[in-house]
Amino acid sequence: PAEGCEDDTESRVPKIPRNAETNLRLNIYFFPPSGPGVLTRTLLNAGVRVVALESHSAFLPNLQSLENRLDGQLKVIYGDFFRLDPLITGPVKPPAVCSEKLFESMGVAAVPWRADVPVKIFGILPQKKERNTLWRLLFALYECSSIYRYGRVELNVFISEKEYKVLTAKPAEVRAYQALSVLWQVGCEIQLLHMVSISYQLTWLIDLFFFQWLPNDHLCLIRLTPRKNLFTGGMKAKNSATFIFMVKQCLAKPRSRLIDRLNSWSLYNGRKLLRELEIPENAETVNLYPEDYRRLFEALQSSSVFTESWFHDEVLESIRNINF
Amino acid sequence: MYVRQLKVERKLSIAASRLALDGQAKAKMKVKTKAKAKSKKNLKSLKATVTPMWSQSPAGLSHAYAHSKPRMAEMKAPRKVPQKMLEDKDSNQYKILQQTILSNLECFQFLQQPEEAESFLLLHHNSPVKRKLLNVAAYNIVMRSWAKKGCLHRINQLFSMLQSVGLRPDLDSYAAELECLGRDESSTKAVQRCVQRLKNDGFHVDDLFQKCLFEEDEKEKVLRAIRMIQPNYQLPPPPSPETCQSALLRDFYSREKIPSYPKLDFSAQELRERFQQQLKMELNNAITIESVEATKPLTPQAIKARKLLATLRSQWHKSVLQSLQKSKHNMSKVNTMSGYNILYPYLCLLPDEEYVGIMLQVLDTLSPQGESLAILAKELGSKIYNRYITQRKLRSRQLEKVQEVYEDYIHLLAKDSQPNEYLPREYWEKLVAEAGFGPSLNFKDCSWPYMLLLRLGMHLLEILVQAVKVPRNILNPRLESKLIPVLYHVYSFRSSWQVGLIKPHPIFSQIVSDASETMLTFNSFVMPMLCPPVPWTSPHFGAFVLNDTKLMRYVDGAIQHQVLLEQCPQVNLHPVLDALNQLGNCAWKINQPVLDIIISIFNDKGNEKLDIPPPISEAPRPPVAPSNSSAWNKSQKHELLLCKKKAAEMHSLRMDALYKLSIANYVRDKVFWFPHSIDFRGRTYPCPPYFNHLGNDVTRAILLFAEGRPLGPKGLDWLKIHLINLTGLKKKNALQERLEYANEIMEEILDSADHPLTGRKWWMKADEPWQALACCMEIAKASRSPDPAAYVSHFPVHQDGSCNGLQHYAALGRDLIGAVSVNLMPCNVPQDVYSVVAQQVEEFRKKDAQQGVKIAQVLQGFISRKVVKQTVMTVVYGVTRYGGRLQMEKRLKEIDDFPEEYLWDASHYLVKQVFSVIKEMFSATRDIQNWLTESAKLIAQSGQTVEWVTPLGLPIVQPYYRARSTVLNCNMQNLSVKSSNSDQKPDTVKQKNAFPPNFIHSLDSTHMMLTALHCLRQGLTFVSVHDCYWTHALTVDVMNQICRQQFVALHSEKILQDLSEFMLKKYCSPGRETKALWQKKLMEQLSNVPKTGDFNLKKVMESTYFFS
Repeated sequence: PAEGCEDDTESRVPKIPRNAETNLRLNIYFFPPSGPGVLTRTLLNAGVRVVALESHSAFLPNLQSLENRLDGQLKVIYGDFFRLDPLITGPVKPPAVCSEKLFESMGVAAVPWRADVPVKIFGILPQKKERNTLWRLLFALYECSSIYRYGRVELNVFISEKEYKVLTAKPAEVRAYQALSVLWQVGCEIQLLHMVSISYQLTWLIDLFFFQWLPNDHLCLIRLTPRKNLFTGGMKAKNSATFIFMVKQCLAKPRSRLIDRLNSWSLYNGRKLLRELEIPENAETVNLYPEDYRRLFEALQSSSVFTESWFHDEVLESIRNINF
Repeated sequence: MYVRQLKVERKLSIAASRLALDGQAKAKMKVKTKAKAKSKKNLKSLKATVTPMWSQSPAGLSHAYAHSKPRMAEMKAPRKVPQKMLEDKDSNQYKILQQTILSNLECFQFLQQPEEAESFLLLHHNSPVKRKLLNVAAYNIVMRSWAKKGCLHRINQLFSMLQSVGLRPDLDSYAAELECLGRDESSTKAVQRCVQRLKNDGFHVDDLFQKCLFEEDEKEKVLRAIRMIQPNYQLPPPPSPETCQSALLRDFYSREKIPSYPKLDFSAQELRERFQQQLKMELNNAITIESVEATKPLTPQAIKARKLLATLRSQWHKSVLQSLQKSKHNMSKVNTMSGYNILYPYLCLLPDEEYVGIMLQVLDTLSPQGESLAILAKELGSKIYNRYITQRKLRSRQLEKVQEVYEDYIHLLAKDSQPNEYLPREYWEKLVAEAGFGPSLNFKDCSWPYMLLLRLGMHLLEILVQAVKVPRNILNPRLESKLIPVLYHVYSFRSSWQVGLIKPHPIFSQIVSDASETMLTFNSFVMPMLCPPVPWTSPHFGAFVLNDTKLMRYVDGAIQHQVLLEQCPQVNLHPVLDALNQLGNCAWKINQPVLDIIISIFNDKGNEKLDIPPPISEAPRPPVAPSNSSAWNKSQKHELLLCKKKAAEMHSLRMDALYKLSIANYVRDKVFWFPHSIDFRGRTYPCPPYFNHLGNDVTRAILLFAEGRPLGPKGLDWLKIHLINLTGLKKKNALQERLEYANEIMEEILDSADHPLTGRKWWMKADEPWQALACCMEIAKASRSPDPAAYVSHFPVHQDGSCNGLQHYAALGRDLIGAVSVNLMPCNVPQDVYSVVAQQVEEFRKKDAQQGVKIAQVLQGFISRKVVKQTVMTVVYGVTRYGGRLQMEKRLKEIDDFPEEYLWDASHYLVKQVFSVIKEMFSATRDIQNWLTESAKLIAQSGQTVEWVTPLGLPIVQPYYRARSTVLNCNMQNLSVKSSNSDQKPDTVKQKNAFPPNFIHSLDSTHMMLTALHCLRQGLTFVSVHDCYWTHALTVDVMNQICRQQFVALHSEKILQDLSEFMLKKYCSPGRETKALWQKKLMEQLSNVPKTGDFNLKKVMESTYFFS
């Protein structure tokens, strides 16, 4: 029965571009909130080893029968990518999954940050959880926790065009350029692999998950590859939360002047700092490049003003909001 | 706890629909505060609400939060007014702009700056667009300003300006001109001409004295002018008082056989002194009292920290004063014509020192966790406003008049004055008429628009953040010296929005905590009144002497209630006003022994079990971790966060209790009063927010009636039954059995009373331990007195409606089975609707299980009263299947061994069963509910709000609109202010879902008011906590009888037919030209009043457990 269902959709499957398929070694994919293995098919046909995360128990049997037929090429795990590593204490109940268990069952060991990409992940972010998930992944990335504990895991995800524009926004694009833009751009290389118009090609998908899409909007398949040099200079997994906090505070009101922010936090001699970084004194926070924020953070970090001010309390408190 | 309960109430009133939808219903509408169990859930609200010195309006529904959209930050007057807005004169936005102009002009009038007022007026008058915002009232204010200076030609100019824009002068315009003429005693000819014009415009000279709200010496001057042309002119007689015609109150208002108004145990002189104390407190606007923690010994560290704080404060005072003056100076230099700064006059109303004082108070009350910018801004704005109103009342001589009338009013209540059959309102009106004050006691409404309050508050807050600094090394001399701000501004991020917070620097919090200061400053309206409240005589006059109090509390920025109350014939409001006066006139005193025990525990280590919040020092400490926080791992961070969260929660609970106990302690030797106001459904609330009889168990236990009554033959029995009710035991037993049980355990009761903390502590196991303890003590005293029947008791005994919402539904629908289950029918033992429903659901489950329904089998042994209770209770409040399922899921989750994988199916199954059981039991109830919901839906879909009138004549409108947010641009942060505007389309979902519960609440409040008024005629002391009625033990039986009589009387009215007729008239009146499809549909819906069952309502009279 699973076959029939999949064959129906085969013809409308979004084509994964050639270059995305070539050097696949091992992949996890997830479908929200449940999935009729469209991507599975494509990936399996490309001949790669696939681990499928299935969040709905109703779809499990089909996938499992496929797993049995494929002789090790496919591994099916009952779990929900959006409930990966929940913060709650106590045992993790499925479909919530623990990344440690997940990687262990895949037989993947952690590699150093600068090593090659150990795993590629494919999936779709449903619009409702899109922003949420992007934030969670971001914190994991900067903390080297969850999936990023195993190295520079590459994410290949479909996201909405709107969110894609935010992720790749340039300074001075007042509406689009947000904390999320700065933080992802500092953390990852962002590549657009493919863009599909939702209006016709993916109508079946829309019916399933994307009730709220605007007409003529697109789904973007993007690749997020963590940067090798993310943890150089002053940036460490341990202090990166401060960086995230700082960027968020700065861009909460994008047209505010950076110097006012710095002074109101009484962190440092704001004027002197900006002069050293060669940032104009009247710069608005929306005009700073991601790299500027990084330099600003490194400068403040090296002067160790953060640790002796209220700032680090605030950072801690902000962690509460990470795991929404 | 008041705050907590306020939250529940607020949710009900404002967001009843959401409450129903998301199933968050903390369904306890009653104020049985099982505080322990619920405290956790409501902590968030507590945190937000427990800020001292907060305004009276309880529902801060206007959410203001940081707005990320970039806008140019400027603080200029709204210069570009969208054309469209100006065309729609009824729009809220338009009214707000108009109101802003009026308040600005009033400021100039207050500042006695007619030139500035005029140039501000001209600024609008000369612009074709802005001119449309001006109404006659705006011109009148400027005229009055000139009249004070005797500048007749300026007034004449304004008259021609009025004419040039096609506005007609009104009475106030002529009053201003006459005042001016009377002031300089100019020619009689001018007066004659003026009076002639007045008459030509269709007014009469008498109107001036009957309608104008004169201030200062205006009336005398106008009279003088009139007498220049008519030397024998006599003031018109005051209008004769009207009597309310409501059928429910025919007896109450009939002039025959009225008993005289009950006297208080005070002489006129004593009451006069108390009034002076109250007046003094209100004139100061705030009062500083010693907290109950003051008795703790002072440590050397505290002494040092206090000294430091004092030095810092005087420095801050200087620097804030400087900044304020500098900012005012900068504003004053801006050219008036080019870009007028609207805030400037508002910064001139009070002496600079007062602004600084009010601003610095923020520092004293800011919690270490910080506070939302918007809340702080509103608080600051309101304080300035209150101060200004006080000054205006003084200046206009309104206060003088109130004082004069009050001195006479005292004779109604004083024991050494003649008995008198007037009601407080009637007596007050009579005195006002006799003094010839006309309507001038009704202070001109000049409230500032909400946006203005925020804008002003934001400006002051910005100054504060910039000016208040502390040396960085003040606690740690090793650091380099540098001044850093004490307050900082950060954003806190929620999933989809961000909130701007103002937080104190940890250095400052440290000093404050070291100093452990023990003085608390409260707004005067937070304190109970020290004299009987001023009786309500109109929607905006009553309660406090000076503090601006509105009869109906409402959401910030909403004006529709006020408009509705003003438009309705004032005589229709008499029953509500009289009921509120009756509730407010109840005198209270403190139960000192209980208060002392509570304070001793509070000052020791608190006791969470007994709902006495422990001090912060008892908070859990985070595990010792590496000093460098960046080295912590995830679980350590998590633990630290939990500790911090717990500490924050404890802090807010502790502060809340501290305020309550400190206020109680402050009035421990006094007699005091709680003036009352209503919400938009007519439910009554005491005005002072922290300490009042609606509070939690602790607060209620320390309150006693100031008046004592002998117990009488049955009083002691009632005390004992009341005690057993408080324990929560014997709920299913007859009264006689409860009494017998009390007699059985008399030894325990006496032990609790004699050795509360050292004995066997029986009282601590009660549901409401503190009230139980107080009751034990009362029983001990009474039973040991030589003649218990003669023992004078001050103790309030409660009678509680059992599932009051369903009682009203069952009575409306005359549902027989339903009526039995909620005790409308006489029964030997109390019926418990929750158990009945649970049993019935269990029956269904058994059947299903036998037929092999899997989920019914799984549920075996899990269906209990507890599981169904919340859903049954909230059915009354319109809970939907969706919300009901969520509630069920929650309950099932609480059961440890319930298999998790069946949660969804089981809750789905259960809610279906519960609904069908209820449908069977309360068949007409469901029909009525559906009818109400469907009618509201059609009304809202037609773009109108749901309105109705209670059987007592109170007009009600549901204030739910599709929220629109306006962005307030400020330097520090942009605030997005969501407001419910009457020009917005109604929120259909809320209008629809909230109508049934709101309607039922309007009925339960009517029932309460009817009971209150009739108790008054019987000479009873009566107060209520919504559906829980209190009186002396002596009079419980009488109150019970009245309560039942009034319930029967209320429901004997054709309530639903009346509602249907009212709505047909309101929404489908034939006058409207086109009969749209919706109108036909609505008409059909409204005419189709649900049929009722055949329950005989009279049976309620004999039902013991109806209220018990």
